[in-house]
Amino acid sequence: MSTTAPYRPSRSHTTGRGVSFGGVLRSEWIKLRSLRSTVWCFAIIAVLIIGFGTLFSAVASGFEGAATTPEQQQSLSVSITTIGVTFAQLVAAVLGALVITGEFGTGMIRSTFTAVPRRTPALVAKLVLVALGTFVTSLVSLVITSFLAVPLLRGVDLALDLGDGRYWLSMVAAAGSVAFMAMIAFGFGMLIRNSAGTIAAAIGLIFVLPILFSIAMSLVSGTWLVSLYEFVPPTAATRLYDYVVDGASITTGPAVDGALRLDPWGGLLVLVGWVVVLFAAGAALVKRRDV
Amino acid sequence: MIEAHHLTKTYGAKRALDDATFTVRPGLVTGFLGPNGAGKSTTMRMIVGLDRPTSGSVTVNGKRFADHAAPLHEVGVLLDAKAVHTGRSAQDHLLAMGATHGIGKKRVAEVIALTGLESVAKKRVGGFSLGMGQRLGIAAALLGDPATVILDEPVNGLDPEGVVWVRTLARFLAGEGRTVFLSSHLMSEMAQTADHLIVLGRGKVLADSPVADVIQQASGDAVRVRSPHADHLVGLVQGPDVAVTAVEPGVVELRGITAERVGEIAASRGVVLHELTPLVRSLEDAYMTLTQDSVDYHAGGAPLEPAPVTTPGAPPVAAPAPAASASASASASVSVDTEGAQR
Repeated sequence: MSTTAPYRPSRSHTTGRGVSFGGVLRSEWIKLRSLRSTVWCFAIIAVLIIGFGTLFSAVASGFEGAATTPEQQQSLSVSITTIGVTFAQLVAAVLGALVITGEFGTGMIRSTFTAVPRRTPALVAKLVLVALGTFVTSLVSLVITSFLAVPLLRGVDLALDLGDGRYWLSMVAAAGSVAFMAMIAFGFGMLIRNSAGTIAAAIGLIFVLPILFSIAMSLVSGTWLVSLYEFVPPTAATRLYDYVVDGASITTGPAVDGALRLDPWGGLLVLVGWVVVLFAAGAALVKRRDV
Repeated sequence: MIEAHHLTKTYGAKRALDDATFTVRPGLVTGFLGPNGAGKSTTMRMIVGLDRPTSGSVTVNGKRFADHAAPLHEVGVLLDAKAVHTGRSAQDHLLAMGATHGIGKKRVAEVIALTGLESVAKKRVGGFSLGMGQRLGIAAALLGDPATVILDEPVNGLDPEGVVWVRTLARFLAGEGRTVFLSSHLMSEMAQTADHLIVLGRGKVLADSPVADVIQQASGDAVRVRSPHADHLVGLVQGPDVAVTAVEPGVVELRGITAERVGEIAASRGVVLHELTPLVRSLEDAYMTLTQDSVDYHAGGAPLEPAPVTTPGAPPVAAPAPAASASASASASVSVDTEGAQR
């Protein structure tokens, strides 16, 4: 390696700008797009949503007669075009976990917290960007899927109407559900700090917990269990983008008598609650801990 | 200016830092010296708020590090522990760090050039050698053109050329009036770079003074005498202040008496001398003496080294005989640097 020139200060010590939230956001944005793993996660989210959505639109069958009214046709179309969203949620959870645990694992967090010693702005910036990034990626993917799906669904006698505002609201909500999973996993990451542990916890929450609930519900009959299940993040996420017709949708079926069934706003509230609680607990811990 | 007041950090039952009070002044290179596990890195992490003190406080230019509006312009730090994401390029790492303070591409390019990282700036840090990693860490430390520079074991992993470069850089930064705080477990390194030393052992500040004073404090000078009549001579020089150590048959080390005095006594009584050598402690020995009760992982004692022939009449004895064994066979993996003593 060559010898280096002696140090020459480029400015006086006092003229530099200080830490600003805009600067922290830009810093986190540079970090997000300068890692292969995060870029791959975004790409996989798009591929899963577009791939599964168009594939199912092309091969969906057996729905003939299930959707008679235009509203039911729209509801069924939503469940087909968003078929990849559950998988995208999983990848988003991995992304949300990696964004924070990757820094703990490599020691990068020390550089981050030296530049932003108050810590909270850096955590908020990460959360905002991982949420925005997964939301925008998912929404764009869903828009592409929707346009590709129209001619494909016509083949199975489904007339998807893209002029329907409610349809697009469901798309926005579906993209939001992906972002929520990323944020929940990010919250776990702040608490657990270890990549493997956080991803395991996030997958447990998104995939294993629903299975445990369905086993429990087959063994114990109780409407309280069905009501409780509404508060599990993947369930709330599904409610978020449900296209409900007459109190039910094709994806989720009719509500159980006497049990709670969240509407999209209820689902939103539950997901926001998860994020707020996890982030508050995580940030409080990260602020106190030695790194 | 770094000011630590009664800084204490405990991990469970272990006290990593125990009531440390010291000041690191601008315009000087201050060496932070201590054996492995003495608490140097912990102290440096506490200065920049990465670790919380159990009690006490530390400020940089009068404020807690986190209370500064532009922390990177106040303090630049190279940490001993890894602090870079291995999947990111060196340039992106610096851009991301700088962005928080509105520091842009121009300054990033400057620190890359000044640390000699141009050829690898776009490569992922995961493939860096230890030395390149250190250079990146130093680049990050200088990014904000900080008034205070803290470098934890900066020469670790650097090639000889890099070591000289860090030394020059540290002196240059201090010459500009900045506060420069360097840690090392190598006394020889500090002897060539630092103006002032803070010596740490088992979490306690053992010494906080100019380099020359540290050697003085820890010095216990001795005279080696080789004579066929050693026993007789010992009887002649014996006194309340004189300590005698028999090294081998016919060789003794005397403390509390100068070589001149031994020579005069021997001449007046007609005792034949085969060797009369004043022994001066090197910086390394001084350091070993200071820290030897506080080393967590002992290797062995430090031997005394003969002083250069050209500098007899070393300063008078300042300390009682150190506990270090003078037997050469007891010395182990300690490299002794006599060059340091000549400085």
